[in-house]
Amino acid sequence: MESVFLNMFFIITLVLSGSYLILGIFSAMALRKYLRKNSYVNYNSLVLSPLSPEVSIIAPAFNESKTIIDNVRTLLSLYYNNFEVILINDGSTDNTLEKIKEEYELTKVHYYFDYHLPCERIRGVYKSKNPSFKRLTVIDKKNGGKADSLNAGINVCQSSLFISIDADSIIETDSILKLVKPFLEEKDRKVIGAGGVIRIVNSCDVEGGHIREIHLPGQMLPRLQVLEYTRAFLLGRMAWSQLDGLMLISGAMGIFDRETVIKGGGYSIKTVGEDMELVVRMRRRMAEEGVKYEVTYIPDPLCWTQVPSDIKSLQTQRTRWTRGLVESLWTHRKIFFNKTYGRLGLLGYPYWFFFEWLAPLIAFSGFIYSIFLVVTNSINWPFYLLLFLFVYTFAVSVSIWAILFEEITYHKYKKKRDVLKLLTAALLEPFFYPMYTYFAVRGNLEALRGKKGWGKADRKGFEKKKKRVP
Amino acid sequence: MIKLLLIISLLSADSGRGYPSGTTYKTYGFSDQVVMKSTVEKASSAVPLILFIKGDSSWISRINYSKKSLVLVNFLIAAIIIFIVTMIILLIIILLNRKKMEKEEHLHQYLLEKYQSHIINYLFGSASAEEFRLIASDTYRRQVLIDQMIDVSINLKGEESKKLTSLYKLLSLDKDSITKAYSRRWHIKIKGIRELAFMNIKDANAVIYKALNSSNEILRMEAQIALVRLSDDNPFEFLSHLTSHFSLWEQITLHELIVHHNIPHPSFQKWLTSPNPTVVTFALRMIREFKQKESEDNILETLFHQDPSVRYLAVQVAGDLDMRSTLETMKHMYKYQEYKICLEIIKSMGKMPDVSMIVFLILVLDKENDVQLQIEATKAIRNNGEEGHKALVKVMESEYKNYSIIIKHVLDKRIF
Repeated sequence: MESVFLNMFFIITLVLSGSYLILGIFSAMALRKYLRKNSYVNYNSLVLSPLSPEVSIIAPAFNESKTIIDNVRTLLSLYYNNFEVILINDGSTDNTLEKIKEEYELTKVHYYFDYHLPCERIRGVYKSKNPSFKRLTVIDKKNGGKADSLNAGINVCQSSLFISIDADSIIETDSILKLVKPFLEEKDRKVIGAGGVIRIVNSCDVEGGHIREIHLPGQMLPRLQVLEYTRAFLLGRMAWSQLDGLMLISGAMGIFDRETVIKGGGYSIKTVGEDMELVVRMRRRMAEEGVKYEVTYIPDPLCWTQVPSDIKSLQTQRTRWTRGLVESLWTHRKIFFNKTYGRLGLLGYPYWFFFEWLAPLIAFSGFIYSIFLVVTNSINWPFYLLLFLFVYTFAVSVSIWAILFEEITYHKYKKKRDVLKLLTAALLEPFFYPMYTYFAVRGNLEALRGKKGWGKADRKGFEKKKKRVP
Repeated sequence: MIKLLLIISLLSADSGRGYPSGTTYKTYGFSDQVVMKSTVEKASSAVPLILFIKGDSSWISRINYSKKSLVLVNFLIAAIIIFIVTMIILLIIILLNRKKMEKEEHLHQYLLEKYQSHIINYLFGSASAEEFRLIASDTYRRQVLIDQMIDVSINLKGEESKKLTSLYKLLSLDKDSITKAYSRRWHIKIKGIRELAFMNIKDANAVIYKALNSSNEILRMEAQIALVRLSDDNPFEFLSHLTSHFSLWEQITLHELIVHHNIPHPSFQKWLTSPNPTVVTFALRMIREFKQKESEDNILETLFHQDPSVRYLAVQVAGDLDMRSTLETMKHMYKYQEYKICLEIIKSMGKMPDVSMIVFLILVLDKENDVQLQIEATKAIRNNGEEGHKALVKVMESEYKNYSIIIKHVLDKRIF
């Protein structure tokens, strides 16, 4: 029995390693194709074209008074000719609404709209008296969470495409152009959503809502997350997009077909993983209706976001992510190995089930078991060391592979010492794994207990500490 | 995910209890051939090929690998070595690549500036073509020169443009582009086609025509764009033969090309009868952009097109171009259309206000429950000047619905 148990663990390890290698290969293929294809693209033709589709940017904000002015300014200055910005004040308890009203000369307007999607009561819709800010609409509503705010924004917007973003993110000026393109290229398969690469803004020089200079985060935790994000976006999601198994478009920034979202019932307010849940639900619905569709992914860096720089905030974020994952997987358990859903059912969902949800639990049990072996002095240290080295060197290799991808594609960290810092982080990162595993277990326990809500996250302004975010 | 590997695999590092000495067992997912004796003494005879560690190795005795297969131990050692070597190789590639990129960036910048001044000097000054001969002797520099010439050509017209093309040919750079256009690799082929199109060289039109039917959509699009620039007559003829989906991206790119390069555009109404609906949508868009109002009768017919996306666009274009002869047809078709087209019909009625439509619009306002339809119907009524105003006042007096909220929305000029 014990050997079966141990064999199973080792096989899982090998399958995990193998899947990473396969994803890496697919990702490399997809990246190469994308870069070649887009080296000929002239996005300028889209900038001023009267044929470009209208896009609404929906940005929920809750207690974002430190950053809101700059972030709205960034949104209003995006490089596209046919867009509106809908900012939702989700019942902030600070002076977010007052600040934005004052800065952008807002007054309440008589706005008539449908509650296509359920959301908390909208207290008022504001527009600017100043024609320079005519693209901006602000919705003030009772607090209901991010998903609820996004639903309110979808109710008010009229464009066929909308981009959901986090109001505290910094958006690349050409991001709409890049996000819209897959919809314009639509052929026989309806494009229902697209996502892009999210980068980490900690330590970057930010001025007026724009990034002036990119720096690698100075602190270790954000730096480790740079590695993690690079791996996830350039290796993982790129490959899943190629395999038509993409289940997640990051909540920090994604574009969606409004009609499909409304028909699907909008964002779910029952989960904290509303971004993943929406994608899975849309895909599920399209498959059930027999509509040919696709969810695409763009490897271009489109959006910069702050990541937790202390363990407490990181724990809050990760446990929330795990809860969101559990909730989405449970809600859509019908998809599991169901060929009706194509690759989503046969590949994407099982991967997330086994490797993103189950594996941390197995890993945690392994961690406890290892402690037990040490305590009972029955551990085989040489063999233990050998296995440790096997996984450690594999993990570091994958991270270095991701750094190489970043180097040959977008090359955002220009200083040589940044690469060396990243390499050092790659060497240290495996020692932080038990912590991440612990967060995942906590997230599962919270999901079991039925915990709701996002938890508190401290937002830091972009220009408070000599233009640097710690 | 990667972080999980560490802990999961460490689970396997137990003492191996539960395996009585000398028993046979299968090892970690390996095939039957690695079924072997578990004791150290028997291990070497059971596994014929041991890569790194022999069964009688003192290291093995020392590490007490406790009934783990020697194959497994060797596998792990081999994997660790491979990973370490991979890490070192990747590290070297990263550092070398960075050095190469920095070097190329500097060189590229230097060459660009140098060549730009050379080209401008040649076009507007006294420099001779001979000065370029040295530059054009090296493949990398030739490519930089081609790129720079293309950049300069964008802003050139007339004599200077011809002079630049002559220089391009004189330096045989056109041969480089033609070679690329004939390449079997699609991305190189595209580069060649682009260069030829920009430099207005028609010697490889045959291969570009061939690319029109390529299964590679990116290549196909480049061929279409190139032929619009390079064809002497009927540059848009490819539209008549296009059977594949003509995406909005391709349409936008082509439209930008026509506008930016002042390419003479034909009357697009001839493609309104194309069997390819995406070609019809392109024709409709171009009719609108170039205000080809003579197409009104054809657009009227297009309102009955079987493809809803064509009907939708035809309604929109009719409204944009103020084609009032379509109003009655739109009114009659309203109740048979899907929501999106209905909304567009009401919007178009708002773009070409006609008092004869007010009764119909009030009916829409009364009967429809959709907010957008109500708002657009109210806007359309409002656009009818005094008559519209009177109609709205009358509507507000009605107790059938709460119209005031809709009318307030429509009258608020800050809402677009």
